[in-house]
Amino acid sequence: MVLVGVSLIVFSLIHLVRGDPVRLALGTRYSQETYDALRHRNGLDLPLVQQYVTWVGRALTGDLGVSFRSGGTVTSLIGERLPATLTLAFAAVFLALLIAVPLGTVSALRPRSFIDRFATVISQIGISVPDFWLAIVLILVFAGTLGWLPTGGYVPLTEDPLGWLERLVLPAVATGVVSGSVLTRFVRSSVLEAMGSDHVRTAQAKGLPERQVFTWHVLRNALLPLVTVTGVQLAYLLSGVVVVEIVFSWPGLGQLALQAVRSRDYPVLQGAILLFALVFLVINLLVDLLYSRIDPRIRR
Amino acid sequence: MRISRTLALAAAGTLLLTACGGGDEVNTGSGGGGSGDNILVAAVSAQPDKFDPHTTSAYPSFQVLENVYDTLVVPNAEDLTMEPSLATDWTTSEDNLTWTFTLRDGVKFHDGSDFDSADVVYSYNRIIDEKLQNSYRFTNVTSIEAPDPQTVVLQLTKPTPNLLALIGAFKGMAILPENAAEDLDLNTEANGTGPFKLASTDANSTELTAFDDYWGGKPKIDGVEFRYITEPTAALTALKAGEVDWTDNVPPQDIESLQDDKEVDLQSTASVDYWYMSMNFDKPPFDDPKVRQAIATAIDRDAVTEAARFGAARPNETAIPEDSFFYYDYAPFEPDVDKAKQLLEEAGVTTPLTMGLMVTDAFPESVTAAQVIASELEPIGIDVKVETLDFATWLDREAKGQFDAFMLSWLGNIDPADFYEQQHITGGSSNYQGYSNPQVDKLLTQASTEVDQDKRKDLYDQAAKMIVDDVSYLYLYNPDVVQAWTPGLQGYQIRADRAINFESVELP
Repeated sequence: MVLVGVSLIVFSLIHLVRGDPVRLALGTRYSQETYDALRHRNGLDLPLVQQYVTWVGRALTGDLGVSFRSGGTVTSLIGERLPATLTLAFAAVFLALLIAVPLGTVSALRPRSFIDRFATVISQIGISVPDFWLAIVLILVFAGTLGWLPTGGYVPLTEDPLGWLERLVLPAVATGVVSGSVLTRFVRSSVLEAMGSDHVRTAQAKGLPERQVFTWHVLRNALLPLVTVTGVQLAYLLSGVVVVEIVFSWPGLGQLALQAVRSRDYPVLQGAILLFALVFLVINLLVDLLYSRIDPRIRR
Repeated sequence: MRISRTLALAAAGTLLLTACGGGDEVNTGSGGGGSGDNILVAAVSAQPDKFDPHTTSAYPSFQVLENVYDTLVVPNAEDLTMEPSLATDWTTSEDNLTWTFTLRDGVKFHDGSDFDSADVVYSYNRIIDEKLQNSYRFTNVTSIEAPDPQTVVLQLTKPTPNLLALIGAFKGMAILPENAAEDLDLNTEANGTGPFKLASTDANSTELTAFDDYWGGKPKIDGVEFRYITEPTAALTALKAGEVDWTDNVPPQDIESLQDDKEVDLQSTASVDYWYMSMNFDKPPFDDPKVRQAIATAIDRDAVTEAARFGAARPNETAIPEDSFFYYDYAPFEPDVDKAKQLLEEAGVTTPLTMGLMVTDAFPESVTAAQVIASELEPIGIDVKVETLDFATWLDREAKGQFDAFMLSWLGNIDPADFYEQQHITGGSSNYQGYSNPQVDKLLTQASTEVDQDKRKDLYDQAAKMIVDDVSYLYLYNPDVVQAWTPGLQGYQIRADRAINFESVELP
């Protein structure tokens, strides 16, 4: 149901936006005859309703159409870029959690300590620094001056594992640091909140060991909102991180979607947005499932 | 939690596999490139959209196709005059309506089949019959015949002095083997006669391998890898780090400092592209030639060039660059605020006057140029509103005449007809500004069939003078082609038409 709604909105919005894919495809020099022929070939001379019905009919069978721009099928274009996007999104979230959970927890346990102030400053910087700037600095330092890592590109894990890892580090850092900074603040505040709650104080008053209070009463409660936010971050990263992808020549979905917008490549754009909607749905579902595992109250 | 476990496993797997891989990983990857020794790695700014030369219009595709396909004739690297390629010889009839081409002997396609006249007939007819992109180039052609395997005859409706440029200017006019569109998926596959074969392509790079039976002799390198690096700083860093050997994606602001840099070999040459601004002839007061001349007089082209291209361009008040045979030395507008003001006064315009100037973020240099132009028009009482649009919207508004003024460029012009005809002839397909001057129409029409080169140049000179005086286009500059490569790379020639040809390149 949601997907049908999304598809209808996407389809209408895309066709409302100014710009003519045929003119963009033809460049500058062409004749009117050529224009009409290409318009016809792409099915753009049909009524919009008919175009939508045809598209939905095909989409239901898994056929998302053919790109105006490249002539390739939308499913193959997306499929070609999905591994790179998945790799970067999961690596970035992994890195973000690696930064956020320890840093956020420690600063919540020791409020106003040096480490708390340090974490605040670092996450503030992480949030404020523009990702393209961070990305370029990383390239200049680690690929240029030090020469430790390649400037960019992507190789599949199966082809060249070392090359895969080498190329993943910088883009993952560039995206992970930003996500990590957001999550650090989140972890800190939810841990603080849990620490102040009645049941934690009760547990402490009972004289339970500090460690046990923390793992059983604090962390478990603080985890709930963190799962939600991590899910949102992951969904966001899975729909492509355009700027980082461009700077690191990372062939992800963000670049594909951007190129599709620029060239008004409707089939690709529709396919990509449909996929992003699907990703949000699936991640929401996973978050809900995780919730019930963490919080027994949700299980009935 | 699921997440971290997956990644931890992946990371562990990586370490394991690396350990098994042994030590030679380290030696070959001197720059992390991972490609063989004799492969040239070229950093280009974007992925090709497709590899069908007859249906693409994207420059990134032609960067690759230049090395894969051939045309009957090809622009000379020095001055872009047409020279033999798949055709070795051609003659024209007395009335200039019949062109007979003799084809090169012993040419093979990448799949091993022989090239002959049937392939030429097929390729040209494909463009015409399917009304493809370049069908307009055959407007004067009535028939394409192959009396024997080595001969192709083109019949024309009227003399066409620029026929060679029409059929050979770029690889959009490539010769495919007969029935190629049926036998291959031309979007992703290729079968040409050029020095390199298309080996593979994906979202990361496109790889070519040398063609052993190339008619011009096997290339000295084993192959070319085109890597898409959009961010110029990253491309330059990759070049300096030895990951790539060649790039045309040089950050404009770095050009000057790179000239003395020993780590890279930087070269530039004047291109046949030009940047211009144009005003809407249907929108008062821009319909008044005096207003347009006032604006042309107020603009300092040197300042625009410096800001937009960091000096890597040549200011020009006509379209054709200085190195061309058709260059016309004419520069009536000297930057002069007082004179500009006076012209506006004569036109009876009340200032301040507001003018929208439409530019596109697809070409960042035009945004910078427009800002400079805005500051230069302010003193004469014109308030320029720079409108930065995405290219699709920009084109849409241009086509619908919804603008006061716009800025854009024309790329890859070879013949003077490319520079002037459709842009300035009444009702021309690219005459979006709505210019109409019967004298210009007459001169351009006459020039299009004049077979005597000197007479033809004289006609275009006369037309150009009127176009400049009437400010149909306000010409700004010819940008430089700037490319950089690793020191010691031999045999590469930088070209004014931006064609990228690695046929004779040798790696250090």
